[in-house]
Amino acid sequence: MTIVTGKAEARRRLQSGRSGALRQIWEHRADYAYVLPAIAVMLVVIAYPIYYTIELSFFKTPPGLQLRDKTFVGFDNYTTILTSEVFWRVTWNTLIWTLGSTLIAFVLGFATALALHREFVGRGVLRAILIIPWVISAVAASYIWKWIYHSDFGIIGAVLVGLGLADRPPNFIDSVSTVLPSLIVVNIWREFPFAMIMMMAGLQTVPEQLLRAAQVDGASAWQRFWHVTFPHLRNVSTVTILLLAVANFNSFIIPWIMTGGGPSNASHIWITHIYELAFGRQRWGVASAYSVLLFLTLMTLGYFYVRALSGNERQEGSA
Amino acid sequence: MSTTAETAPRALSRRRIRVDGWRWTGRIFLAFMLLYTAVPMIWMLITSIKSGFAAMEFPPQWWPDEPTLASYEKLLDPQNSVGQDFLRFFWNSLFVSTVTTILSVIVAVPAAYAFSRFSFPGRNFLFFAVLLRNMFPAVIFLVPLFILMRLLGLMNTHGSLILTYLTFGLPLAIWLLKGFYDNIPVQLEQAARIDGATRFQAFILIVMPLSAPGIIATAIYSFIGAWNEYIYAYTFLTKNDQLTLPVGIQRFFSENTTDFPGLMAASFMMSVPVVVLFLVLQRYFVRALTEGAVKH
Repeated sequence: MTIVTGKAEARRRLQSGRSGALRQIWEHRADYAYVLPAIAVMLVVIAYPIYYTIELSFFKTPPGLQLRDKTFVGFDNYTTILTSEVFWRVTWNTLIWTLGSTLIAFVLGFATALALHREFVGRGVLRAILIIPWVISAVAASYIWKWIYHSDFGIIGAVLVGLGLADRPPNFIDSVSTVLPSLIVVNIWREFPFAMIMMMAGLQTVPEQLLRAAQVDGASAWQRFWHVTFPHLRNVSTVTILLLAVANFNSFIIPWIMTGGGPSNASHIWITHIYELAFGRQRWGVASAYSVLLFLTLMTLGYFYVRALSGNERQEGSA
Repeated sequence: MSTTAETAPRALSRRRIRVDGWRWTGRIFLAFMLLYTAVPMIWMLITSIKSGFAAMEFPPQWWPDEPTLASYEKLLDPQNSVGQDFLRFFWNSLFVSTVTTILSVIVAVPAAYAFSRFSFPGRNFLFFAVLLRNMFPAVIFLVPLFILMRLLGLMNTHGSLILTYLTFGLPLAIWLLKGFYDNIPVQLEQAARIDGATRFQAFILIVMPLSAPGIIATAIYSFIGAWNEYIYAYTFLTKNDQLTLPVGIQRFFSENTTDFPGLMAASFMMSVPVVVLFLVLQRYFVRALTEGAVKH
């Protein structure tokens, strides 16, 4: 058994030596068959659309999307976007939405994971209940919260009035100043369970002996957390925050269903704005140019994402 | 000797007080999170058993004076038009999600296995290319896919949804499964190979059964993703009899804006399949999701 493993190891090492890239590809031709279906599907539905979006962003296409009648306009679509007032408004909203949702969801999720880390009666049930919002559809969540925020019959308004904190139920999602924070609360409701799951799993990898050793040495609970637990979770935290950031940057359903971007663009984020430009106002060129800008932003984020993930991989390899 | 005997209990009790402080903070925090999580869901259930008039009251009836299942009966009654629509949306969602799930498992299993075991040139590049897909929002792909679906004649068909759901579910499916394969010792396959099995036989007979939990997790993930998807369905489907639940419910209630009990009942029933599926198979799901990110 050990001899065989050794031989296989030796052969692999031999193959990974310099023997010509083409020869390597040829030698591994059978391996590609496994990945081919996945790659093929991805090419059709991803590579082609990306190419096409870039192309459309330089053209003016008629509202009916008659591709034969499109005319080349150079960078016009891009200048239209960057000089419009709405763009900066929407960008600011996107920034608040993404950062706010990500950080608060992460902190709440992490804290919940820590609080759930010790064994107690009913822990499993509690954990299951806390995860449910993450599983149910965002459309259902949007309607539930829309009803909760309802300006006449909403439960939050009723409670505030009942406690004497307000004279009449406040307008949460019909007012420019409160709409974005209100939507962020909904988004966090759906997303903190994800951070919680990730961090719970991360906590299980923290060596118990280290914590106990720190305790024997007289470290307080906070010191143990800060010097032992937290450094062990740096990788999981990075991955979780990045995944959350990407998901939030890309979210659509909650603002779209709850407010449609209103009132007066106060809750439009990039994605909902692009959707409205494309399918609402049929301005395909501008929408495509927006998508390209979005794409470039995401590539930047993606660089860090891959770096964080491959950092994990490296550590696995060395461990 | 006597001094240590005196100070030890005191130090211990001080420590216990401090630990208790943290524990109580934790408990209060958990209670707060439980409220935050559960109150909206409970309010959905309470509203769904009110009559239309009872829901429109201020201050609200905290518990309905006359609880009624009328909204559920209306939605599930195949005789009336609301019920017919709802049941059709439900069936459409079920069909699309199931087919997507089966196909994504078929495509993801071999790909994940290859990424885990083989070291072909470009492996890392392809793997990250697959993962990168996760980064991009549906909207970027929407206009060109809209054109592509029109070209392929897939507009207003469930095929368009299955094809797109397949691709957005694949990256995560592959990532999750790769984590599982990485954990299955290569020696098991090597032993089978020595006994005369081909690589493919070793894969089917040894690796597949061992990775069953991973496959289950991947399947649930695909199913939930497809079941809850909204934006593609909203764009590709226009005919009423093709709609999936999220879009169907939205269409329906944009016409009946005041029927909140009906809306809450529909939201509840839309959530039941995925929540039940999730609660039953929770263990696999949570394990798989975290496998790739935290494994050491």
